[in-house]
Amino acid sequence: MSTSTDSIQTNRESPGVAEEGAIMRFFRATEIDTRMLGMVAALLVIWAGFDIYSGILRENFGLFGGAFLTPRNLWTLLAQTSSIAVMSTGMVLLIVMRQLDLSVGSMLSTIAVATGVVQVFELGPWLGVGHPAIWIIAVVFALLLGAAIGALNGVLTAYAGIPAFIVTLGGLIAYSGVAWALIRGETVAPMDKTFKLLGGNGPLASIGVTWSWIIGIVACALVILMLYNGRRQRARVGFPQRPLWAEAFLAICAGVAILGMTAVVNSYPWPPKVIETYALANGITIPAGVEDRMGDAICKSGEAIVRCQQGLIYYTGFAIPVLIAFAVGIAMTFIASRTSFGRYVYATGGNPEAAELSGINTKWLTVKVFILMGVLVAVSAVITSARLDAATNSLGQLNELYVIAAVVIGGTSLAGGIGTIYGAMLGALLMQSLQSGMTLLNFESAYKDMVVGTVLVTAVFVDQFYRRRVK
Amino acid sequence: MKKFAAAVLAGVAMSFALPAVATAAGKTIAVSWKTFQEERWKTDEAAIKAVVEAAGDKYISTDAQGSAQKQAADIEGLISQNVDVILVVPFDSDAILPSIEKINNAGIKAIAYDVQFEDPNALYITFDNVGVGRLMAKTMLEKGKQEGNFAFIKGDKGDPNATFLFMGITEVLKANMDSGKIKNVCETFTDGWKPDAAQKNMEQCLTANNNNVDAVISENDGMAGGVVAALEAQGLAGTVPVTGQDGDKAALNRVALGTQLVSVWKDSRVLGKMAGEAAVALANGTAMDALPGVSKFKDGKKGVEMNSILIAPNPITKDNLGDVIGAGWIGKAEACAGVAAGSVAACN
Repeated sequence: MSTSTDSIQTNRESPGVAEEGAIMRFFRATEIDTRMLGMVAALLVIWAGFDIYSGILRENFGLFGGAFLTPRNLWTLLAQTSSIAVMSTGMVLLIVMRQLDLSVGSMLSTIAVATGVVQVFELGPWLGVGHPAIWIIAVVFALLLGAAIGALNGVLTAYAGIPAFIVTLGGLIAYSGVAWALIRGETVAPMDKTFKLLGGNGPLASIGVTWSWIIGIVACALVILMLYNGRRQRARVGFPQRPLWAEAFLAICAGVAILGMTAVVNSYPWPPKVIETYALANGITIPAGVEDRMGDAICKSGEAIVRCQQGLIYYTGFAIPVLIAFAVGIAMTFIASRTSFGRYVYATGGNPEAAELSGINTKWLTVKVFILMGVLVAVSAVITSARLDAATNSLGQLNELYVIAAVVIGGTSLAGGIGTIYGAMLGALLMQSLQSGMTLLNFESAYKDMVVGTVLVTAVFVDQFYRRRVK
Repeated sequence: MKKFAAAVLAGVAMSFALPAVATAAGKTIAVSWKTFQEERWKTDEAAIKAVVEAAGDKYISTDAQGSAQKQAADIEGLISQNVDVILVVPFDSDAILPSIEKINNAGIKAIAYDVQFEDPNALYITFDNVGVGRLMAKTMLEKGKQEGNFAFIKGDKGDPNATFLFMGITEVLKANMDSGKIKNVCETFTDGWKPDAAQKNMEQCLTANNNNVDAVISENDGMAGGVVAALEAQGLAGTVPVTGQDGDKAALNRVALGTQLVSVWKDSRVLGKMAGEAAVALANGTAMDALPGVSKFKDGKKGVEMNSILIAPNPITKDNLGDVIGAGWIGKAEACAGVAAGSVAACN
């Protein structure tokens, strides 16, 4: 008797299955998105790979002896990603709603050039170059222009009934013409000096160590508050709770990620030349010291200013556009998941007819999502033109493809209804990591294109495969 | 029927009579533009027109509006107006050849203006494009750096010009590269010649080399802007010489500020002036190979040998910034914005 019961049990639950069950239970308890976990793992593998490879070519200070996993490169990578990441958050909502915006690149050119013209040729002479109000007016102007162009795209799509693909394809061509015509293909430069800070080009456009730690710690506190609040909400409506250990695990993971990132950006020292210029301009005394070309600090050796180990040194902290991108990501996640607007977007994407029949004004909703996209493009236009310290009509070209690729790699379904903001931002980071890493290794650009294209298709293939398995 | 015959007779008579009239009352020089959408052609036109009208000849033009078919029709129209010389900026260098054939058959002289078409009877007037790369490298050696770690920011990989420029550049730097004085530490194409892409490429280049980059050869001014932004973030702008071309206003300002070494400038007014003078001379019966500055050119796609006038571009550095200001290409205030008093002669 007992033997047969044993055999039945063994058949039902082999040791292997029991182990898998434990992992599944862990994921169910923590409610971690396994897809995201896969992306993070892929990202880490790519980073490690680049670092090891670049270390073989030339020894450097990275985690594995290369030039990729250094505070400097990671800092630059984040700054380089921010523009595409900001736009990808808007594109997620559009694609979730079964719409698409192909015109974001040309819109970015138009907004960047128009904003450049306004601040350099209009506000500069009028208020005086360097007036503190210039950057504020310029940014507000950019956001309004973005909203207006977005509204035009939205109205044509929703009320005129032209498919978004056509409206924005037309926009892609037409807006690039507008960007050219505004200044006949010339370059507008230089930007206002405060406006420039929004681009995060270099350490002076960062917030420094102290503020970075403050922001990091505040972010950790917010995570804990959010977890606590979520628990209370669930208790209120009677939803099942996560076990306490799972909550603690999530809090620790998020805390390690946030503080780890803060530590990384806080350990990127200012380039010695920048410290030197800053010290001389602000009358800061440079301590005497011994020359050491490996050091990151600067010292005075006799009359000459040299690099040394112990001397004057500053660390950068978060670049301003990176903070903008994080703020946008948090705001957009909130909009997508906690507001009725966001829920309507997902509902409409999941089943437009049902959404309309249940009383959602899908046309107006479409216009609103396009306006949001336009505003986000304006944010990116500000970041890119500030970063380059110039505006030209070639800024933003091909960005629509990178943005859509980031969104798709991030797991947004082109069939609509499914997609996350953080996924798209991670997708943008992954794309930029590939490009930056391959440039670091001096890859020929033909191969770069091949790799990026292949990764895009592979990511979607893996995603489809994964979704089928989960179902 | 009678009327028709009379009209034909009149037409025939006219066609005999017209050339005679033209000789007496000045020649007609025509230009068939590929498109007038781009600002620069207006600059060229003004220069050509000035020369032609100063010589007492007549200037007419047509705009193909970016269409090969329209350009063919335009040229037929010009031929029927019995002009003496037609300057052609072809929209499509191959599709234009039958039209050039018709120009030749009508006994009219054809000039390929700025963009080449390969017809042995035509004259080709352009800037020495391979020379631009050579000039960049030459200026770098003379006024920038002769040795050290060089970064090469090339244009779009799909644009043959990016490669031509690079050939000219390496031709000049070759001796120093072979002897190991110049080390190529990064070399990258830039998607669409985009300044922001150049900025990212330069950032990676600086990271990979721990900022040990001594000079940057950028193939145009827009990308040079991105390169300078990347250098500025590391506090290196102004100490690392950067090249460019096009005479962009922002770039000329950088030249004045010292963050860019050189912008090789192709003054389209010089091109227009030379073309206008050549056209007037041809209309007055000067032989093509007797024109001043003519040489043989056969570096085109098909290797057809043509008479050509290649104009040397002008490398603009701090020292000759006055050239662009004096030519009215850029205002002094715009070129010298933010320049410390006394640092650049042209800004005083």
